[in-house]
Amino acid sequence: MKQQRFAGAAVVIAGVVLALTCVPTPTQARDSYQRISGEGSSWAANAIDAMRVNVRQFGMTVDYNPSGSSAGRKNYLNGTVDFAASDIPFQFQPEDGSAPENPAPGTYAYIPVVAGGTAFMYNLKINGKRVTNLRLSGQNVARIFTGELTVWNDPALVADNPGLVLPARTIVPVVRSDGSGSSAQFTKWMISQYPQIWNTFCDKSGRAPACGFTSFYPTLPGMIAQGGDLGIAGYVSQGFAEGAIGYVNYSYALGSQFPVAKVLNNAGFYTEPTPQNVAVSLLKAQINTNEADPTVYLTQNLDGVYSDTDPRSYQLSSYSYFILPTVVGGQFNAEKGKTLAAFAYYAMCQAQQQSASLGYSPMPINLVQASFDQIRKIPGAVVQDIDISTCKNPTFAADGSNLLADTAPQPKSCDKQAQVSQCPDGTGGMSNVQTAVKSGGDPAAPTATVQPPTASTAPPAGGGGATGGGATGGGATGGGGTGGGATGGGATGATLPGAVTDSTIAAGDPTLPGDTVQVVPGLGEPGDISVDGCDPDAGCGAQAGVAQVEVGAITTTTLKAEPGSLPLILLNIVLVLGLIVGPPLAWKHFSRKSPA
Amino acid sequence: MAVLDDTREMDPVTTVPALPEADTPAPKPRDVSTRRGLGDRIFRGGASLSGVLVLSVMVAVGLFLSIEATQALRSTGVSFFTTSEWQPDRNKFGIAAVLLGTVVIALVAVAIALPISIGTALFITEVAPTWLRSTLVALVDLMAAVPSVVYGLWGLFLLQGQLVGVSRWINAWLGWIPVFNVAGADPHSPLSSASVYTASAFIAGVVVAMMVMPIQCVVMREVFSQVPLGEREGAYALGSTRWGMIRVVALPFGRGGMIGGTMLGLGRALGETIAVLLIISPRFDINLHILEAGANSVSSLIALRYSEASGFGLSALMAAGLALFAVTLVVNFTASWFVARSRSGASSEA
Amino acid sequence: MTALMDDLATSTATPPAGTAMPFVTTSPLTTLPDRRDAAGVPQHRRVVGHISRHDVMVIVGALISAVATTMLVFGRFTPLDGQPGFTVVAFVLFLAIYAVLVSLTESLPAVVDRVMTALLATAAIVALAALFSVVVFVLWRGREALSKPNFYLEDLSVTGPLDPLEVGGILHAIVGTLVMTTIALIITVPLGLACAVYLTEAKGRGANLVRTVVTAMTALPSILAGLFIFATWILILGNQRSGLAASIAISIMMLPIIIRSADVVLRLVPGNLREASAALGAPQWRTVWHVVLPTARTGLTTSVILGVARGVGETAPVLLTAGFTATMNANPTKNPMVSLPLAAYELVRSPQPELIARGFGAAAVLMILVLALFTVARIFGGRPAGRLSKRQAKRAAARSTADLARFTSRQEGVS
Repeated sequence: MKQQRFAGAAVVIAGVVLALTCVPTPTQARDSYQRISGEGSSWAANAIDAMRVNVRQFGMTVDYNPSGSSAGRKNYLNGTVDFAASDIPFQFQPEDGSAPENPAPGTYAYIPVVAGGTAFMYNLKINGKRVTNLRLSGQNVARIFTGELTVWNDPALVADNPGLVLPARTIVPVVRSDGSGSSAQFTKWMISQYPQIWNTFCDKSGRAPACGFTSFYPTLPGMIAQGGDLGIAGYVSQGFAEGAIGYVNYSYALGSQFPVAKVLNNAGFYTEPTPQNVAVSLLKAQINTNEADPTVYLTQNLDGVYSDTDPRSYQLSSYSYFILPTVVGGQFNAEKGKTLAAFAYYAMCQAQQQSASLGYSPMPINLVQASFDQIRKIPGAVVQDIDISTCKNPTFAADGSNLLADTAPQPKSCDKQAQVSQCPDGTGGMSNVQTAVKSGGDPAAPTATVQPPTASTAPPAGGGGATGGGATGGGATGGGGTGGGATGGGATGATLPGAVTDSTIAAGDPTLPGDTVQVVPGLGEPGDISVDGCDPDAGCGAQAGVAQVEVGAITTTTLKAEPGSLPLILLNIVLVLGLIVGPPLAWKHFSRKSPA
Repeated sequence: MAVLDDTREMDPVTTVPALPEADTPAPKPRDVSTRRGLGDRIFRGGASLSGVLVLSVMVAVGLFLSIEATQALRSTGVSFFTTSEWQPDRNKFGIAAVLLGTVVIALVAVAIALPISIGTALFITEVAPTWLRSTLVALVDLMAAVPSVVYGLWGLFLLQGQLVGVSRWINAWLGWIPVFNVAGADPHSPLSSASVYTASAFIAGVVVAMMVMPIQCVVMREVFSQVPLGEREGAYALGSTRWGMIRVVALPFGRGGMIGGTMLGLGRALGETIAVLLIISPRFDINLHILEAGANSVSSLIALRYSEASGFGLSALMAAGLALFAVTLVVNFTASWFVARSRSGASSEA
Repeated sequence: MTALMDDLATSTATPPAGTAMPFVTTSPLTTLPDRRDAAGVPQHRRVVGHISRHDVMVIVGALISAVATTMLVFGRFTPLDGQPGFTVVAFVLFLAIYAVLVSLTESLPAVVDRVMTALLATAAIVALAALFSVVVFVLWRGREALSKPNFYLEDLSVTGPLDPLEVGGILHAIVGTLVMTTIALIITVPLGLACAVYLTEAKGRGANLVRTVVTAMTALPSILAGLFIFATWILILGNQRSGLAASIAISIMMLPIIIRSADVVLRLVPGNLREASAALGAPQWRTVWHVVLPTARTGLTTSVILGVARGVGETAPVLLTAGFTATMNANPTKNPMVSLPLAAYELVRSPQPELIARGFGAAAVLMILVLALFTVARIFGGRPAGRLSKRQAKRAAARSTADLARFTSRQEGVS
């Protein structure tokens, strides 16, 4: 009896497990591909995830773990994964004190798969409305992330944003806590451009003398560290994280629908890392062409990008790489090599069509061709003779130049440095939401109220409707909520705007001073900013003496520190209590005396 | 009256056996040997084998961790316990900050969970009506079974938003106490960021407290239910109220169990990984301000750094893990000693 | 003695005719006290032992009064603000007003007793509110994902981060959890039960040593079990991250817990059962197999289920050893495999609301699974060895009746 019951239970359990494991999987019949796994960069993860999803239709299964570039390289060296994705190459002589990485020579190859920009996603509100057009100079960026600038209305930041009345809110830099290629690229740029600021910071945080560029960002109290680009984006987008700013790949800002800061470039324009601007910037990247040395072949030198003087360039543009094995060994065999090569071909060719809609920049033709050659080296690779025109890459022009870079729009004149005001257009994931800016006036008065919107003059070509800015945010093909998000599937997605050119202002167009722009309601909030003398520094409390925190954040117990208020409060409480508990106690006391 | 008088004549009931003849050998005691049959030998062999196997696995784990850890400890020596930074590849690493952070989070958790668990245990055993008692017991046990990742999600998405306000309030009114002070924050200004109160040891401690509370409550409930009925009724008979009985009889009786349960909860709080990992922002300096952003614990450090650690870095992580294991071991053994020594605990299984 | 009895017999009046009782008197020996107080007002019997209407009214009144006073204090008379302050002040005021109200009719010890009872009740309410809040919050945040059937039938292999909830699901995590738990069970249950039997059956230093080591190992933080497997199985032995590695890590963590609770249960089996079996000539293995284990069966099932519930919910060892994947993998020996807690952890770290909803859905499924396991354990176990449930007792009684009938029929047949 008992045995029968046990047997019955065992059969049922086995049946359930079997049934669940035999769910129909997509047809794997076409080509027999092995399942491969990769690990690495979270900066490039959005693009790689889209690639992984899209190759399922061919029967390829790819697992990708976005645990950070350092973890990816480390696990590749341990042989626990088949390929790695990393923003920086193997570090033979790291300057930040970490252990050198020593891959066996001749066993790996780099291919650049995604290009993008490291954007600064921020969470800031003025009078309860989210700011979407913040601008920062490179020096201010460095000073923010090294703890030198601590409040948003610091004069240095006000100088960058003459059109905004920045609140006196604490700046909270959010950095990466894990080993990150984003941190490495960011610190590399900082060291190259602002070495003193970096070295002071390195000293203060206890890293000296190992002050080279690092994948492990040092922290000071007052900074928040989160794991993964996802973690930074997740933290900055929270309601309590007002005043936070973090560095993530541009695609994360698009996906979370948050704005990014425009950074000043060497031509004096503030730009954001749209796919076109990144394409322009990376024209100056020097790619190593020494095929004889596989340890550096196809790696990037970004010094030219940092010093680029094109008005459209964005300094923190970079490539991210796949590290592919070129010999079998450990868990990697020729069968997996066949799958990996097919995946890599897809990544370099068809997947580039989608890059722009995700927020990355498609690869230029020379790098695509070089990568095709590298992919041949994977053991077991089925060499594909791909006609490069079938890749439908937006950068390919008939004459071999970069079409995307050539057609990239020039920045607006309101984006130029040292104007009296700034562009109201939103950036990043909120490119369709404008922020009211002051027109003229003294940009350095932090308590000046924002002027009420006057009847707008004929909208300048730049203001071409609220949606004009949307195009630069990266193909708003999605529905309302997914501005710029990926649409998945093998779509051609790259609705890359040629249409953008109509919002270009010819250089020298004097539309700026005196521009007033209507505030466009965004996020369902009322359109008018309150102009009743509400002091943004002190908040707009309804009750006298109460300082209210703005909508969306947590109401806290705050007390306007008026002298003498505390004793008054206590007196109040005592009086109230006396009124409530006094009478019953008195009644009891007196009624006890009454019986004779 | 008749007296029982049993002087009747009866046959003797005891017979003495006849002695054997002189030349037969004296009887020897029988040789009772425990020669076990085949089945028993196989059984005992198998049981011993399993014991040996379990022992070897456990010892292998401990030994491996120790051996790997010594490689790291050899290079730092005693400074392992005094250094705060964690840069193993530069030979500058130590558990001063992370172990202290672990202990801080655990202490916050126990401090919050202790009154709640004592109160709940007393409520279940003394105050609750009988029909409610079994339901409450089941609910508390259910709380112990909820996985830690669920508590972590609840803490990250629900509790953190609420507790930022509480932290600010505590900082505003009790900030003069050093523990509640937050550097660089002005709680009375609405424009100071709320971020400085997020990702703190306090919030992580509250979440871990919810995990630790049912463990403590179960042990204490066991202990309070064993209060001897006689003493309890004696207190009532002398006219005490229920609270008087609790104060005079139950609490002293259960003291060992309360301490044991608290330390058991402390042991669990020390080892908690995922909830802490989700909430805190790691920092590598000694931070005793529990309301301030930034905390660290050994298990979350291991979970964060294991993947990108070099060989030496992995040894350093194992050394930190070993230190945590040692602390947890000491706490657990102290707990069982207290429980076993107490009046109540000798028969309980805590 | 007889003198006393003679006195009693003669001291009273003569009994009424017809009765033979020797000690009855006409004047009653029991007097009823006058229940009226000094003023002649009849008193009411005091009710002890249950909550009277007066008590309930006092509590309700104190609550309302406290809340109202706090609203005055916070809203009108002082510039205090904030939810936590309101709750704290309201609670303190409630206690104060309750104390005053009770002191109107009771003495000081009773007041203290009532206030402390209120505090104890508050502690219990806080604990239960936390549990309730956790369960409801996770279910609420995951409701959009949980309500779609594709959530249980698909995996995330063709789902991008911005895809809506109608696409994709966590089937890969559910299968992963099942596979890992099955393997962990296969490893730990035989080994754990055998070791527990060894601890209770074998006396001596060896058993004590094993018991001490096992007790020490229950203190092992779960992440160290994962780190151990990561360092040995994955790095030194060169295997890839897989479901098998995660299962072994979970087993290392579950083993001491199962052994300890099984040991406790086996020790509770009454010794006289073992002795009776030995007296009947059974070798030790038969005693264990036929007497000890069946007697402790419910307790052993409970400890196994509780160990499994603990192992299912562990994230840390799986995080280090199982890798991460979005595609279904039912093969534990190669390729990464996610379990439910790992999937929940990874999904909620993303800023996309759809992924967060999926993460909460995974956590909700995990929570329901663990609670179901736990409820099964409570239903099964909870009875000490030897005590029968009502159904079992009825069946035993039925068998006894049948045996009795058999005996009597044989006897009648003989006689």
